[in-house]
Amino acid sequence: MSERTNLMEGGKDEILLNVLHRAQEKHGYLSESVLKKISSKYSIPIAKLYGVVKFYTMFHTEPQGKNIIEICGSPSCVLNNGISLEQFLKSELKIKIGETTQDKLFSLYKTSCIGCCDEAPAMLLNRKPCTRLTIDSLKATIENLRKEAGEKKE
Amino acid sequence: MQILRKTNLKALAKAHALGQEGVIALIERKGLEGRGGAAFPTGKKWRTCHDTQADERFVVCNADEGEPGTFKDKFIILNNPKTMIEGILIAAYAIGAKRCFIYLRGEYEFLRPKLQRQVKSMLKRAKTDVTIEIVRGAGAYICGESTALLQSLQGNRGTAMSKPPNPTRNGLWGKPTMINNVETLTCAAQAVLFDNWKPEVRLFSLSGNIQNPGVYEFPIGVKMSKVIKAANPKRKLKAVSFGCFGGIMPVDENMAITPETLMMEKCHHGAYSIIFADETNNVVDLSLSIAKFYTYESCGKCTPCREGTVRMLNLLRKIHSGEGSREDLPILCELANHIQETALCGLGQTCGNHVLTSILHFPQDYEAYFSKK
Repeated sequence: MSERTNLMEGGKDEILLNVLHRAQEKHGYLSESVLKKISSKYSIPIAKLYGVVKFYTMFHTEPQGKNIIEICGSPSCVLNNGISLEQFLKSELKIKIGETTQDKLFSLYKTSCIGCCDEAPAMLLNRKPCTRLTIDSLKATIENLRKEAGEKKE
Repeated sequence: MQILRKTNLKALAKAHALGQEGVIALIERKGLEGRGGAAFPTGKKWRTCHDTQADERFVVCNADEGEPGTFKDKFIILNNPKTMIEGILIAAYAIGAKRCFIYLRGEYEFLRPKLQRQVKSMLKRAKTDVTIEIVRGAGAYICGESTALLQSLQGNRGTAMSKPPNPTRNGLWGKPTMINNVETLTCAAQAVLFDNWKPEVRLFSLSGNIQNPGVYEFPIGVKMSKVIKAANPKRKLKAVSFGCFGGIMPVDENMAITPETLMMEKCHHGAYSIIFADETNNVVDLSLSIAKFYTYESCGKCTPCREGTVRMLNLLRKIHSGEGSREDLPILCELANHIQETALCGLGQTCGNHVLTSILHFPQDYEAYFSKK
């Protein structure tokens, strides 16, 4: 039997995954100081908390790029030219899977399947699906995001 | 489509009128089976959960639809969420649960805001004290497996646990917990309300090298030719893969798709996700992409799966790079069989299916790589 480790927040039972998602959304990533705060607030040993965070691919303990791209690697996407899109992203952004660009604009990940097999090939851009991708459409998306970031800087 | 029929809280009212025993008996009589892939009789699950002595029980709607090639639950959440929510309320009533969860995979985050609003409005309309919380998954395929899902819900790493105890007797925080798939709960509401509800009608997720991918409804026993006609391939088809875990087999237009006919080909229907590959593909490439998936998604808890998936991938990579030989095939099969026999959970026990079936049905595709040497 598992020990009840429900978290209490404002008198309401809380689920750790939801707490972690909210913290990540607020701070961009789950830094050591953020995890320490959660650890003491909910009386969860920091080692256990870190172990949980590292298990899930969507939680990050390092600073992330402004835009997170998760390219789908499911067979349905692979059969629909998915691999060439992955290669394009790697060469265009000059990073490997799991890395962030130097200008901190993009982080690139590969995911097992995002359930968009009917609109393959697909990816998640900041958790929103982009579907029926082509190299041209990807190029345009990346360019737009770069342009947006440039305009904001000015 | 049967799955799109709305129940408008009439199914919940009928369940209340039937009583807990009555609604469980009705679900048993209607022949509803779990639609997540394992096809366990739903009524039996409900009854075990109801009959287990406890002061508290839970319902979990499993929306961690992670099997590659599967997107039918997304289709339901987008197109008939209220009936699904009603199904959760009926299940909660049947077993006597007050607290329910929807475990929504992290990749479906974009569905959450609307689903949250619909849950709120349904709970208000149903005038119930039952609560439904959406729990956000975080990108782990294994959490669709029931014991891993419970670990995840309890704030732990989402690793699989050995069964028994089954979650229906000893689940969340040691209490009886009923975990049902999105489609199962939606069907439960429809089965309660509609006399002409048909248990044999299934959702098929069709994708791959086809022009009309999407979610379709077919009865079990449908001819492969009919499914292919709906899928509308551009070129001649060569192979079908049933998700990742169900195995790969040649296209046989005359075959009726049933659990038994697929078993004859050493394949498994799973959640009826069919990925079509046309004649331009080598099946070894498909198998390689599936092997990558398993290596990536193994939770690491048991050694056969953690180590074995890597070894299978390495061997497939060797073959794929042209460095392999015929002698690698029996090793691959032995590995796959060994993992399937000794792994802890459903992921490990099925992770070699693609290897075994591709070697069985497509030896010529492997030969093509050997002769490249």
